Amino acid sequence: MLKIGQDKLPELISAWAGGARVFVPQEREGTSIFTPWDGKGKLTLGQGNTLEPPKDLFFPRTEAMYRYQVNGPAATLETLPPLEEKRVLVGIRSCDARSLLIMDDVFLTRGYVDEFYRQRRENTRIVALACNEAQPACFCTAFGIDPGRAEGADVQMWPGEGGYLLEAITDAGKELLKQAGNLLEEAGNAHPPAAAAPGLQVDTGGVTEKLQRMFEHPYWTAVSRKCLGCGACTYLCPTCHCFDIQGENQGDSGYKFRCWDSCMFSEYTRMAGGHNPRPSKKERLRNRFLHKLQYFPERYGKFACVGCGRCLDRCPVNVDITRVIREVKEVTL
Amino acid sequence: MSSLQEQMRTRARELLSKKEVQVVIGWEKGTFWYLSPPAFITDPDDCERLVWDEFCTNNLAKYLLDYKLGEEKIALFVKGCDARGVNRLLQDNQFQRERVYLIGINCSGVKDGRRAAALGEARRAEVPLAEKCLYCTHPGPVIYDELLQEDRGAGAREAAATAEGRFAMVEKIEAMNPDERYAFWTSQYDRCLRCYACRNICPACNCRECIFDRSQSGWCGKQMSRSENQFFAITRAMHVAGRCIECGECERVCPEGIPIMALNKKIIKDLNELFGEYEAGLDLEVRPPLGQYDLNDPDEFHK
Repeated sequence: MLKIGQDKLPELISAWAGGARVFVPQEREGTSIFTPWDGKGKLTLGQGNTLEPPKDLFFPRTEAMYRYQVNGPAATLETLPPLEEKRVLVGIRSCDARSLLIMDDVFLTRGYVDEFYRQRRENTRIVALACNEAQPACFCTAFGIDPGRAEGADVQMWPGEGGYLLEAITDAGKELLKQAGNLLEEAGNAHPPAAAAPGLQVDTGGVTEKLQRMFEHPYWTAVSRKCLGCGACTYLCPTCHCFDIQGENQGDSGYKFRCWDSCMFSEYTRMAGGHNPRPSKKERLRNRFLHKLQYFPERYGKFACVGCGRCLDRCPVNVDITRVIREVKEVTL
Repeated sequence: MSSLQEQMRTRARELLSKKEVQVVIGWEKGTFWYLSPPAFITDPDDCERLVWDEFCTNNLAKYLLDYKLGEEKIALFVKGCDARGVNRLLQDNQFQRERVYLIGINCSGVKDGRRAAALGEARRAEVPLAEKCLYCTHPGPVIYDELLQEDRGAGAREAAATAEGRFAMVEKIEAMNPDERYAFWTSQYDRCLRCYACRNICPACNCRECIFDRSQSGWCGKQMSRSENQFFAITRAMHVAGRCIECGECERVCPEGIPIMALNKKIIKDLNELFGEYEAGLDLEVRPPLGQYDLNDPDEFHK
């Protein structure tokens, strides 16, 4: 295990920035987000989670997919240049690290590989930071996530005395630590601090099986009463991955893009002709929970929630997925 | 005199038991001590869920729209801002007055939940007023069927609402030059996620179908870009012009902390200067400045 002092952290980031763009959690007008480190300001790696998950770095809010040009009866398509930029994502927490594995299932498995996602994912090294302090809305341990050690990371960091402890997990991680040169020292007998113990807890056992039997349950009417039908929960969720594909046309040319979409919106399921199979917020909110807690486990064998707490923290009306799980388990069928 | 919370529970129970109303909308305790989200009660035995504390922040008026096409009568607890929201909906013929029973509460301002989370429960007394309450001009409800008597018990909160500084932020932005102003607003709205929480909680946003839910109309594309975000911001601000009741809920619910009320207040300030002082939702009989016709209009279009 290696260590680095807090004061050396900017140098470490700069070392990694040779040949890659390094993203770190940074404050931005009262919120926080992963942005490229520009060498200025205070580098703290944040307290707990960023407001926005790193999802946007792999699955951008909006991305062009191809361009087209119409010439009379003929049309030509132009593919976009490959995404070759190398990146290092520093300070990602265990919950968000799990979310990347969930997104991998969606975009890389079951017979289709999404090239946009694949290129970004393969070109990005993950340096995770352990949590030794939980935020009020954290409940990652409910999904078997270890806040003290992230899954799928290349390097694991821990907050240590006056700085950080580091350990390479993968070959790419060893390469990163080698790149750091003499900025890193042997940590001797230093031990990582105890992992955070989130106060919010929920037992997810049996919830999928229960949900399979309660699609038409009146509970969904009750729980959706206060929901505003906004998309704050889905857009801040590290695992929500729904998108829409639309075009932007000017004259004879234009481009197709995809952009985030939200099952909380009325337009999401509206069909040609105007019919909407999810006409009210009851059906939409139900879908959000069923997707995370039933459909995803049925298809991929894991929950599509990582307990990061962003949705319940920022929901304007405190729709709380831990409470929904508890209540679902309690309602009579 | 019993506490306001006790009175709320008692009145809710009576109204539901006597079947005078079918639904009571108030507040209940949420996940954390600093959250008191909306509660919907239909069973008299559930009235113990109702709470009244310094975190009963949500403006409940908007929920009337969810019951617009039903038959049931709704009892709604209203603070000053909630009551103005109800007036706005009534004035826009969005809800029938006889279908809502308004229980007024004299509000002395709610507290900032986000600051509370940061301070911790041990320092509950130090939690500052919510931003939206700092410049509140009407903490008492302007329309109600009954008014709960003031709470003088241990849970009483200090009154601190004052209209001073209501336009301070607007004046600060007005003092910028156009480039600075553009830089300010682009840096704010580049963050916008277009989650539409601001629109969905707003009692002035009561269109049956919103332009932003019709992306194929071509008015505003679905991609999240600077121009589309700004089009959304400006369109919504202009659309609630003269109808914004300054409840500040849009700004409170914005997950990105965009100062949305600065836009709304700029328009209110301009309207005041152009058409005379007007506060939306105060009086059912006074029509909004942009919702009436007057031969003495300072613009000369009719001459």
